[in-house]
Order: sequence, then C-alpha cells, then structure tokens
Amino acid sequence: MIRFFERYEAETSQFFDEVISKEGSPRPHYDKMLHRFSQFSVDDIKARREIVNIFFRNQGITFTVYGEEEGVERLFPFDLIPRVVPAHEWQTIEEGLTQRITALNAFLHDIYHGQKILKDKVIPAELILGSQHFRREFVGVNPPLGIYIHVTGSDIIRDGEGNYLVLEDNLRTPSGVSYMLQNRQAMKRAFPVLFDKYKIRPIENYPQELLRTLQEIGPVSRRDPNVVVLTPGIYNSAYFEHSFLARQMGVELTEGKDLVVNNNKVYTRTTRGLERVDVIYRRVDDAFLDPLVFRPDSKLGVAGLVNAYRKGNVTLANAIGCGVADDKVIYSFVPAIIKYYLGEDPILQNVPTWLASNPADLKYILANLDSLVVKAANESGGYGMLIGPESTIEQQENFAEMIVANPRNYIAQPTISLSRHPSFFNDTELFGCHIDLRPYVLYGKTVTIVPGGLTRVALKRGSLVVNSSQGGGSKDTWVVDE
Amino acid sequence: MLSRVAESLFWMSRYFERAENTARFLDVNFNLLLDLNKIAHIENPSYWVALILVTSDKERFNSLYDEYSARTVTDYLVFNKNNPNSITSCIGLARENARSIIESISSEMWEQVNNLYHYLQSVTPQFVQNDPYGFYKEIKNASHLFQGITDNTFSHNEGWDFIQIAKYLERTDNIARLIDVKYHMLLSEAQSQPELVAGSEDIIQWMAVLKSCSALEAFRKVYLSKIDPDNILRFLILDRTFPRSINFSVCAAEDALWRISGSSRHRYVNNADRLIGKLEAELSYTAIEDIFSKGLHHYLEDLEQRLVKVGEQVHLTYFAYHTPEIESSDIEEALPFTGIAGGRANWSQAQQHQQQQ
Repeated sequence: MIRFFERYEAETSQFFDEVISKEGSPRPHYDKMLHRFSQFSVDDIKARREIVNIFFRNQGITFTVYGEEEGVERLFPFDLIPRVVPAHEWQTIEEGLTQRITALNAFLHDIYHGQKILKDKVIPAELILGSQHFRREFVGVNPPLGIYIHVTGSDIIRDGEGNYLVLEDNLRTPSGVSYMLQNRQAMKRAFPVLFDKYKIRPIENYPQELLRTLQEIGPVSRRDPNVVVLTPGIYNSAYFEHSFLARQMGVELTEGKDLVVNNNKVYTRTTRGLERVDVIYRRVDDAFLDPLVFRPDSKLGVAGLVNAYRKGNVTLANAIGCGVADDKVIYSFVPAIIKYYLGEDPILQNVPTWLASNPADLKYILANLDSLVVKAANESGGYGMLIGPESTIEQQENFAEMIVANPRNYIAQPTISLSRHPSFFNDTELFGCHIDLRPYVLYGKTVTIVPGGLTRVALKRGSLVVNSSQGGGSKDTWVVDE
Repeated sequence: MLSRVAESLFWMSRYFERAENTARFLDVNFNLLLDLNKIAHIENPSYWVALILVTSDKERFNSLYDEYSARTVTDYLVFNKNNPNSITSCIGLARENARSIIESISSEMWEQVNNLYHYLQSVTPQFVQNDPYGFYKEIKNASHLFQGITDNTFSHNEGWDFIQIAKYLERTDNIARLIDVKYHMLLSEAQSQPELVAGSEDIIQWMAVLKSCSALEAFRKVYLSKIDPDNILRFLILDRTFPRSINFSVCAAEDALWRISGSSRHRYVNNADRLIGKLEAELSYTAIEDIFSKGLHHYLEDLEQRLVKVGEQVHLTYFAYHTPEIESSDIEEALPFTGIAGGRANWSQAQQHQQQQ
C-alpha cells in the first residue's frame, strides 16, 4: 500500500468510508484493489485515463448540459476506482428491491382498480387523488400481467453506519443504465489485470433481459411482439442511452413522428409502408405521449396512442400513471405499502421523511430548515432542492414561503452524510467523494436485477449532489463473489 | 426501415460527399494558382469567385465578405457556420444525422464521422493556410475512409442503397457544377482576352478540372496526353467506368434505386425510378456533339434541375411515407427536404429537454 492510498484521508470519524473501516484498515473486499493500485504511478493512471477518455469519446458517450449554449456536449465524468459490493451485501439489496418493487406494483394496481388501500385509510386518499401524476383516465385499465413498473432504477445510499437505505424509487423513466454498461467496458479496457483478480458478476446481459421483459408484457393476442424504443429526440440529455439500448436490443429507435395510430393500432412509418408495433419502451414523459389526451402542444408524442393503449393493442413500458407511486410524498408511505400488500417488514429502510402536508411535520420542517434537506415532491435530477447546512438564510426564507404556499409539494429529510469512496482528483491524488447506487430492476413474468448498477459520485469536493446535471460522475460497480 | 432512418442515412451520406467535393475544389484551386502564377499575371479574384459560383452562394458570400481572396473564400467554404455548405457545416450536419440514427449505423461509421468532426473543431485558419495540401488531403481521405468503412461494416441492404443514392446524386451535381463554372470562366475570359482561350493557361485550367475529380490519370489512360476540352468533357460526362463521371454516378444511383424498389429496365414502379431511368438512358445514347449542339451550359443546367427532381421523388416515395386517410396536413412541415438541417433541428428541441429521472 503505497502512494495513492497511503496519502488518502478517509476521515472515518465523520463518514462511512467504503474502502477504509473505522479502525483504519482496508475492508477485505478491497484488498486486491489496493494492492493493484499500489503498483501504479501517476503516469500509469494518466495513461489509463486516456484509454477511458478515448473509449467514451469514440462511443459518443456525452451528455448535454441544459441552460448552456446549444449543443454543448460533455464527457460524462468517470472515476477510475471501481466500487466493490460483496455478494452478501448485494443479496440484501436484491431481496430488498424485489420486495419493494413487488409491493409498489401491487399498490399501483390497487390505486388504478379498487383503491382498497385508500378505503382502509392506510394512505390519505387526497394525497393520491390530488397527485399530479394520478391518471384518472386509467382507472380500470388492465396492463398485461398486471404489471405497471417494468423498468425501475431505485436510488440507494448508505448512512453513517453503512446501512443501505432507499432514497428514491424512480418508477417513470429512470436513466443511466447505459453508463453502467459502458463503465464496465471501459474498466475492462483500462484495468484488465485487476479485473481478472476479482470474481465479478457480469452485467452485460442487461439488454437481453430488458428485451425479454418487454416481449413478455406484449399484448396477449400478439405472438412475437414487435418492440420499439420511443425517444424524445436527439436533443434529450439521455438520447445516447435511448439509441444505445435500441441498438443493443436490436429494435427500432423511434421518435413520435415515426409512429402513427390507425384504428387504435400503432404503426411505424417505414420506407415500405406501415408496420405494426406491439410494445413501446418509452422514454417520454406521460404528459408528452399523446397530444389528444395530455399536452396538446406536444410534438414528441403520437395522436391516438393512449386510446390504442387503453384498448390493449399496444403496451407501454412503463405504464401511464406510475408517477403517482414515486412521488416523494408517497415515498414516506412505502414501508406501510410493503406491510399492507405483502405482510412483510421492509428489508431496505427508508430515509426518515417529514411531510409538509402534515401540520406537525410542517412546524418541525420550518423550524429546522438549516439542518434538513427539503425536496419538491415531483422534481428529479437534483432540481428544486434545498440542502439546509449549505444554504443561505435568504434561500431558506425563499423555501419557507414556497413550502407554506404549497405544502403538498414538499418533503424534508435529515441531511444524511452519504458514504464516501476514494476517487481520483486530477489523477494525482485520492479524496473521499460521496456516492450512491442505482441498481436497475426489470419486472416481467419475474423480477430481474442485474448484479451491479450505476454508482454515482459527487466529484465536486464535499458536494452531496450526485446527479450528472449537477456535476456528478460515476464509477463502475462490481458485485463480487468472495 | 423507418422512413426517418432512411432519410438520415441519405443526408448523412450526401453532406459527407458535399464536404469532400468542396475540399477538392479548394485544393485544386490552390494548385492551379501556383501553376498559373508562373506563366501569367493572374487576377486572383476571378479564380476565387469561381469557387463561390460552384456552390451557387454568391449572395450569401457577398453579405458576409467584401472581397474574393484566398482568405475569405477559404474561410467561407471551410469554416463559416453561416454557410450551410461549408466543410465544417456539412460535417456537422452529417454527424447530426448520424447521431440521430446511431443505433442503425455501425459503430465504426459513427466513430469516423465523429473523428472528422472533432478534427475540424481543432483546425484553425492558420493551419489551413500553412498546409492547404495536407488539410484537404485529410478531408478527402476521411471521406474515402468513411465510404470504405461503410462498405465493409454496414449490411448492403436498403439502408446502404440510400447511402449510395445520396452519394451519387450529390457527386453528379458537383461534377456538373464544376464543369459549368469552368465554362463560365472561359467564356468571360474569351470575351475580354480572346487570345487566352486556346492558350496554355486554358490547358492548365482543364487539367485542374480533371484533377479535382481525381480524373487526370484515368483520363490520360484513355486519351493519352491529348488534353483538349472535347475529350475532357466526353470523359467527365459520358464515361461509364470512371467513378467521378456523371454517367457512372447516374448509373450507380439508378442501380441503388432499382435495388430498393425492385424496378428493372423497361419497368419502373415509382417516379424516382422513372426519372433516374430516363436520365440514364439519355446519357447512354448521348454523344458529346449532342451536348454541344444543345449548348453545354444549357445542358448542365437542365441536368441539375433533373437531379433535383429525382431527389424530390426519392423524398416523396420513401421519406414522406404516409397514408392519406390517417395523416393530417402537417407531414410536409415535419419533414422538410433537408434531413437534419437548420429547420428541422430546432422544431421540438425545447420539449426534448424534458427531465430524465
């Protein structure tokens, strides 16, 4: 253990460090990695950085930053030190997510059918019926196999003691899985020797698993269903991912203008006429799907799509109206949802959450704005957030006003000091960066989770925000058998 | 194949070919001026004007620059982002089209477009001035490499055929323009200085036309060193075996169109096939004397018009596909005849920026 890790300050008194234990020794599953990195000089690291950069650039793995000049493309920041998750920890994550997704799906089915959970007053009805993501039009609609959330990407963090907690369930259009896959390819190129030293569970079958899931949920009447991916277009920040997944699955990548609905059936426009479509893996928000039903100004959707969906002639993944279950307010009820539908205790815990819509909680939130994290219920991507300890009095007053004006839209959580992982700074030294983990869950006839996920890392020193739109990066994530 | 994908393949290919041809014009002009300086005092501007004439961009050019010189014309044709036909713009548009169908093309094709794009971002006017030969060679080679990669990594099915149609329609158009401009230059000079027309300067100019089509060596093999305008025009317009002749390019475009539709000689199934077939048949039975009797300029102008018509029919037949009873009126608005050019690129950009979780 020389050079990089020798000079690394884990600050384990303040943070849970993924690599170094409280006692100051490396955790066993990082032994081989530390040994390997001790053999590298700064030049070795720079050379590997170059391999990785060329790989990403040649693949066109860039993302677009909004709010800057049009067409600004950046390489997605990537950290060379992989995160290692030992098999027994992974097992907890896998079981916990399976339980959680199964329960959330049962919840969605209930909400769009009998609404038993509301009648039993486990969740206040007004929270659901007043949610902007509740789609009244879909009450009574039966998606194939009764499944609503075919693809999810839950955000998992570790607290100061190293417990895995679920921070968010992203049930609408979770992104980032292409980075998970490409990070693995990049690491294989740059660190083949290190790679060989670990028994790393493969994730490369994700596209096949995704395709299998999408085929399983096709309309019952259609054999060998025709699957397409629907993207908002090349200016969407996740466009690379949409095209990547289409290519990996070998299906068409479509935009709204490629599709047409006739007699409640969906078709693609091709050079040889119209071709029937059975399953749409859509990466377009509900609101833009169909100008006849949702936003009339949408140029991204297809007129008539919703009716075709209601008739059961096409399946949408994920179903319309899933957002009602990944609202940050509903999040606080997920432990109760698991208990209600499965009769089990949650395997993965929530982060404690206060609801501004609850008068007692509201009082607490307003009194503690300087120490809490406040989030708007329906925003994602790190937007609409107040991080108490890092905020100014002015920002806090600003948020207080917004919260009081619209309590239903806000929740608060304690500032959790996310676990940290050594990451490179300028390829010359390591420092501890906060990380989270987003595994990807597929739900067809069964629940499938490829072993791994996207570890997002806050590469700005000290920052807690890991979203790529806010300067975050990622690392490869290895689930290893000991 | 999705109509949109076919259309993007078409425009990706077409813009790439256009960039290559622009590089050829510029490269040859530099060489030409070096040669001509030795034998006559040349008014440079007339040569640089010719390059602007090739691209039919005189008005736009005049709105941006005050003079025709190596500096302004190079800037306009290589770098200027306000010129949709500049090399930088063409490669940018080729890349945008490729990016929109990245899942349909081979990753090697994407890497090649992307590499050239990044190379152009790094090039400065100073660099081109210092080593024009090296720079234009780089562009030409990049285009050849792209075509080679396409031929060897991309299935030769419908999509490949759209790439061929675009390449050869664009090439035909460029050859026609190049010849036409040469004709203009000679004409204007003949009026002012009649003694020059048959002089050595004339021969050098005609050689330059051949060179810009990489045709000088191939021409010599057929006509030995007898460089006279009739033979050169016969070669560039009517030769059936040289890949940068008009006849060859029209035949290649026709082959590709027929493979897509299943048309054959004497039997066409759509208007694109009919128009290209008619053009090919006429070229096959045309002698250079027929062209002269019609008037070279008139002939070329007519040819360019007919190529536009073929392009329009390809668009209507394959890219604008719709069934009238279910389609409303906005199809024309949604798919202007430019692939991803300025117009279409922005129309829904704001909405595409929706958040991803």
